[in-house]
Amino acid sequence: MSIDISLNINGESHDLTVDPTETLVSILRDRLGMTGTHKDCCMGICGSCTVLVNGRPVSSCLLLAVQINGDSVRTVEGLENNGTLSPLQEAFLTFGAVQCGYCTPGFLMTATALLEENPKPNCAEIVDALKGNLCRCTGYKKIIEAVQAVANA
Amino acid sequence: MSDCRFTAAKTVEEAVASLAEARGEAHIIAGGVALAILMNEGLLQPSWLIDVSRVTELNCIEVGDDGAIRIGAAVTHSEVAASTDIAASCPMLTEMATEIACGRVMNRGTIGGNICLADPQGDPPVAMLALDATFRVAGPSATRDVPARSFFEDLYTTALAEDELLQEVIIAAPTAGCGTAFGKYAARKAMDYSSTISAAVSLERDPGDGSIADIGIGLGGCGVIPIWPEMTETLLRGRRLNDETFAVMRDVLVQEIEPIGDSLYSADYKRHVASVILKRTLKIAEQRSVAGKGGGS
Ligand SMILES: Cc1cc2nc3c(=O)[nH]c(=O)nc-3n(C[C@H](O)[C@H](O)[C@H](O)COP(=O)(O)OP(=O)(O)OC[C@H]3O[C@@H](n4cnc5c(N)ncnc54)[C@H](O)[C@@H]3O)c2cc1C
Repeated sequence: MSIDISLNINGESHDLTVDPTETLVSILRDRLGMTGTHKDCCMGICGSCTVLVNGRPVSSCLLLAVQINGDSVRTVEGLENNGTLSPLQEAFLTFGAVQCGYCTPGFLMTATALLEENPKPNCAEIVDALKGNLCRCTGYKKIIEAVQAVANA
Repeated sequence: MSDCRFTAAKTVEEAVASLAEARGEAHIIAGGVALAILMNEGLLQPSWLIDVSRVTELNCIEVGDDGAIRIGAAVTHSEVAASTDIAASCPMLTEMATEIACGRVMNRGTIGGNICLADPQGDPPVAMLALDATFRVAGPSATRDVPARSFFEDLYTTALAEDELLQEVIIAAPTAGCGTAFGKYAARKAMDYSSTISAAVSLERDPGDGSIADIGIGLGGCGVIPIWPEMTETLLRGRRLNDETFAVMRDVLVQEIEPIGDSLYSADYKRHVASVILKRTLKIAEQRSVAGKGGGS
């Protein structure tokens, strides 16, 4: 069965015909070529496919697109503004919070949602918000420092 | 394209009518967190999905004049965690929901989806057992009430018929002086869901000698279903919480549970952890019961 849905992705409206079983991450990557959202465990564990739906982080590997008809989605591609990286993206570079980069889009989206909801989080709040994202390179310290720097700016 | 049908239900009635029409060939989908894993793993190819995530009646939290809490099945873990009404009357539920994985999972996963999945690791069922909650179930001709304590029948198997859905959970107002608490053990709580051990306690004390007048306990990760340990409850009634009580409790508890060993923890280790987590959670519930505010700290 195919279903017509409309999604607002990074401020742009997309009319899509989807199969009910299609996940949001597949639509983003395979249909729209937005490969910034990474796909890894497909079990909601690693956090690398995190995007914001109506401003809140979700695992796009565990979300059927048909269920969010009419909603707004933000992905890592939407963070920069006219070619300028967001302050958080800049901080990730400055603090060396990026190594292999696989987990980075997920961390950026999770931390973006945190800072929008709570612009001045303390360290414990940052650690708590990021607890569902796995990084196997940085040991987390640099990532936490980068988020903290934006909060303190 | 698959040949999966999709119904975006607007009412409970519509969802139940679709279930009846599908004759066991449909799946209700709420947050989709659990179903999508099965689909991604190739374990499930649904032929009909009935989406209840936007059914208004399933999305409310209400505290009645009688103090009873009613939570619609499609309420997310985030909404349970953020509810000031719930925190005020039953903080154990707030504690429970706040520690479900992480924001990503809490924002989509629902209390009803978690309960109907009937995963023995799930936290909401454990809380429902301790609180002696009632599940209101909607079928094609009527609704019926099923006690949480008889809802979980076997691994991933509940008392729901194929044409029924869970509408809401109802938790009676905690009696004055009752203390509630939720405790859980995992190496990394956001991710080690498949090996967690959890305990929920609702406890009332005798105002005279401080002994346990009434108690409700639920245990997660301790068998093929969420466990309601009746023998342990019976043992604790009339006793005071001290080292002697905890020692005898441990002996009864380890016989009453049957945890499944996995790659992280052996069954014996889980038995040990369960008794430690239950002891700690009992102590917290006891402290809160002194405050005499239905679990408030
Ligand atoms: C990484 C990760 C970590 C997790 N950690 C935890 C944790 O710490 N603690 C915990 O408790 N859980 C945890 N979970 C599990 C998660 O909470 C559940 O999978 C989720 O709550 C299921 O809800 P859902 O709405 O997404 O269910 P769905 O996937 O939509 O449905 C699940 C099942 O319930 C049925 N169903 C749904 N709603 C109804 C209804 N109203 N009536 C009848 N049947 C219905 C569906 O048909 C399906 O069989 C974790 C999950 C992940 C991915």
